Amino acid sequence: MTTMTCIRPENLDEAVDFLHHHGPDTHILAGGTDLMVDLRSGKHHRPYLLDTSRIDSLKTVQISDDLSRLSIGSGVTLTRINTLPLIKDHAPALHKCSFTFASRQIRNMATIGGNVAHASPCGDTIPPLVIHEAEAVVANKDGNRNIPLLEMNKGAYQSALHPEDLVVKFILQARQPGFSDFQKIGRRKALATSRMSMAVMADKDSQGCISFIRFSLGACTPTPQRMHDVESLFTGKIPSVKLINQGAGLLAEKMVEITGRRPSITYKEPAVQGLFKRMIYPMVTWCRQ
Amino acid sequence: MSNDRYHTVGKSILRRGAKERLTGNPIFCADMEPENALYLKAVRSRHPHAGILGIDVSSAMSVPGVVQVFTAKDIPGKNLMGIINKDQPLLAEDKVRSLADPVALVAARTPGAADLAAAAVSVDYDPLPAVFDPEEAMAQDAPQIHAKGNVMVQKKVCRGDVTAAFDKAHTIIEKTYRTSAIEHTYLEPDAGIGFPDEDGTLVIYASTQNPHYDHKEVVSLLGVEDHAVRIIQAATGGGFGSKLDMNVQGFIGLALYHLKQPVRYVYTREEAFLATAKRHPFVIHMKTGADETGRITAMQMKAVCNTGAYGSYGIAVASRAAVHATGPYAIDNVNLECTAVYTNHPFCGAMRGFGTPQMALAHESQMDLHARALNMDPLEIRVLNGVKKGTVTATGQVLTDSVGFQDCLTAVQPEYEKAMKGWLSEPTPAYIRRGVGIGGMWYGIGNTGVQNPSTARVAMDREGQVTLFTGCADIGQGSTTVLSQIAGEALGLDAMDIHVVVADTKYTTNAGATSASRQTYISGNAVKQAADKLADVLLTEAVNYLKIRKSDLRLENGRVFDSRHPEKQVAFSRLAPRILDKGGELSWQGYFDPETVPLHPDTGEGIPYSTYAFACHAACVEVDVLTGETSVCRVIAAHDVGKAIHPENVIGQICGGVAMGVGFALMEEFVPGETISMNDYHIPTAADMPCVIPIIVEASEPSGPFGAKGVGEPALIPTAPAIINAVTHALGKRIYALPASLERVLDASIASGHFNNCYQES
Repeated sequence: MTTMTCIRPENLDEAVDFLHHHGPDTHILAGGTDLMVDLRSGKHHRPYLLDTSRIDSLKTVQISDDLSRLSIGSGVTLTRINTLPLIKDHAPALHKCSFTFASRQIRNMATIGGNVAHASPCGDTIPPLVIHEAEAVVANKDGNRNIPLLEMNKGAYQSALHPEDLVVKFILQARQPGFSDFQKIGRRKALATSRMSMAVMADKDSQGCISFIRFSLGACTPTPQRMHDVESLFTGKIPSVKLINQGAGLLAEKMVEITGRRPSITYKEPAVQGLFKRMIYPMVTWCRQ
Repeated sequence: MSNDRYHTVGKSILRRGAKERLTGNPIFCADMEPENALYLKAVRSRHPHAGILGIDVSSAMSVPGVVQVFTAKDIPGKNLMGIINKDQPLLAEDKVRSLADPVALVAARTPGAADLAAAAVSVDYDPLPAVFDPEEAMAQDAPQIHAKGNVMVQKKVCRGDVTAAFDKAHTIIEKTYRTSAIEHTYLEPDAGIGFPDEDGTLVIYASTQNPHYDHKEVVSLLGVEDHAVRIIQAATGGGFGSKLDMNVQGFIGLALYHLKQPVRYVYTREEAFLATAKRHPFVIHMKTGADETGRITAMQMKAVCNTGAYGSYGIAVASRAAVHATGPYAIDNVNLECTAVYTNHPFCGAMRGFGTPQMALAHESQMDLHARALNMDPLEIRVLNGVKKGTVTATGQVLTDSVGFQDCLTAVQPEYEKAMKGWLSEPTPAYIRRGVGIGGMWYGIGNTGVQNPSTARVAMDREGQVTLFTGCADIGQGSTTVLSQIAGEALGLDAMDIHVVVADTKYTTNAGATSASRQTYISGNAVKQAADKLADVLLTEAVNYLKIRKSDLRLENGRVFDSRHPEKQVAFSRLAPRILDKGGELSWQGYFDPETVPLHPDTGEGIPYSTYAFACHAACVEVDVLTGETSVCRVIAAHDVGKAIHPENVIGQICGGVAMGVGFALMEEFVPGETISMNDYHIPTAADMPCVIPIIVEASEPSGPFGAKGVGEPALIPTAPAIINAVTHALGKRIYALPASLERVLDASIASGHFNNCYQES
């Protein structure tokens, strides 16, 4: 058992300054869903723990005047994502993922910044952020820089962040789509790591053809994936069962291309198709309305 | 039977201990912190099977804060434990047989020092070939785990002529079923503390299901006199069978013996997962034959269960499995055999149901397969075959009283039919298929065909205060409350007005294990007998005092009164000194041992239990044919408990049993060497729980206290088969291995065609 020093900065500057000096020796506590487990198991033993929970500037949620950009602070908890109308309206798939995220107790503590920075392939907020082409605003002593969400993870549990970095917020391309959804599969109904997750949003034209679609797959691959091929397949078409089956097949094919055929593929290959069909099928009716 | 005739029996009074728990009193071992207590830590094997060439503790001893490191040679008494067969050393001597085997024990001033020292103990191993599959372990050339061979026990039950019956059968179903190893995952990981008393007694508080057994075992390990050790059961946060074994008690005893200073040992969740017993995984080959009406005429069953490195309760599991293989059905021709085999897996032991839940998966699946083959309703085939008064069981026992299985079937019927007719045809999304399934069970109360008595003492002091002394460990199921109610009923007192001294080997006598759903029935009878004896002494003295004949006297509210003229009365506090002054006795012992006849070793003939509990569950499930996700929506659970002494307790047991059954059915699987903790072992959450409709059936048991039997284990047994039958009903494809995980359910959905046909191209 080792002792750690816990730092609780009151503002962003203090945090950034501390990380500038002690970044490699510091764990950032942004909720603790994963960190607390890892600390107990002895997996990590850095001397400092920096708790971001008192930094108010990390907790803001704002929409730009032209409604095109939604900014969500990295310290926003999943419970707030679940309750804020701004998120429900402008990032509905992200809102939906907060219903099934872990458990109520964990949602009260867990933050969107922690979920992304942990770089787990199974982070539930990642596919919804990907479909909004989100960028993380990252601060360190040298200033801010933006990292597109798809470039945040170099591999499973390997973040592109440097030890001196702190995620300040996420900038999402806000949208109020006609159709959106988030779906996942876990081994039980709460407190289960997603075996598979996916997010979609779409709009249609006056003919009922898909005019806009973003689709992202989570948990199946080491890093988050936006599935452009699947999006292209649907663009300009009226969804039908045939098209959805085709899309499901294509998605499975792309997934296998990335992961190869490990033993878990026996389940994942059909399940990814099943989950996709379950999520996309309501589009058939929606496009005909 | 109406509760009106009873004063406290049948009433859901406040639980004993509820206040202490709700206000956070330090009643659990982990919360007890004796001053200057040393921390203990076991060093466990790194090999599933290896000889021990030497153990070097020198670098561990040099870790600052370390007080002592013990090995097997420090054990002064007999280094062997086990409640049925003694085959498990406290600390390994010549070899280790599983990854969980302890080889040394560290005592240190801080947990950190204990961990460091444990890592510094150097063991020179000579790795041996290991075997993990029980069927492979039975081969001639398999690595030998124990000197007596790998087959620990084989239990058989035979009756009638199976071959002839199969020849005549109209339908024969033959299938193989598999179940997984299960971790009990009780709320409170194993824990204990110890300290030497002023007179040198080694006092051990432990989270345990069987303090009097712990006492015997610690005394034997230390080679000391009985009075040198005192075991007190601390508040115990669940056990489910795993706290029947010596988990921390022996370690605490050993350290206490040598160091004579306070010690504590609280398992982490990881250690509780690694080092304590699991539910035996089973492979069950079952063949049944039915006539054209659906009556089951023959059963052949061969099961192999993996007991891992040690026996623990494995022999009891094997014999209970053989005896219960038929389920609650009358089958005239049977050939049943269960073999328990040693392997190098961590040991398996008792878990809620002792092999019966595994058997129930098989017999309830077979029942549904026969129903389908003959186009019968699953409930109808169970009514046809279900045991009733007069049924002769597989062991040749005639069921005479309290045979409430048919009542349980009748009790679930209305809800079952509503589900089949209404709920099933409600509109759902195309990817959801609904199914309804039935599971039946029977469960013999107490140990199988062996003596398993309980004792109790009820004493009144000079002021008329009654104290109940019972060795029965209340592990959360509420036995202390129930036993107080039984004593209270016999003496006309409120249960809460009785003082209790529970599970403390200095003051209580042996009540046997809190297992086999036996405490309400067996300890309840012992308590009732003791209380009745005291009541009789009070009545006799009251006759003298009131000058009224005994048959007209009643006990109520701490007094004896004339039932015809209630104003004529005398308080216990008045009677007590009169009795004592005459040299009378106010302290009475009760004893009860259920009437059983040992089972014949070749045929299994005998009377394994004096009474049985029965139950039927109906489960309503929704299966997502696209992903394999299964939701249990509703479980209707009817249980014949003889008499519910405390109905809320019974309902609590039923709901808890259903929760455990959902886990057994759908998600729980302990994989030795892979499963570490609750991070990778999933038990159901509140969100996974169905709506449970408990139905209490009371087919009074004449030999039970106020007609009571038991419900602890029965609550779990029918749930998993009901769920599996419901999933099968939903998909039209059966799953033969537990758990019915995402993978297995999706496989079944694909095989049944539902996966592909979910959405039709127009």
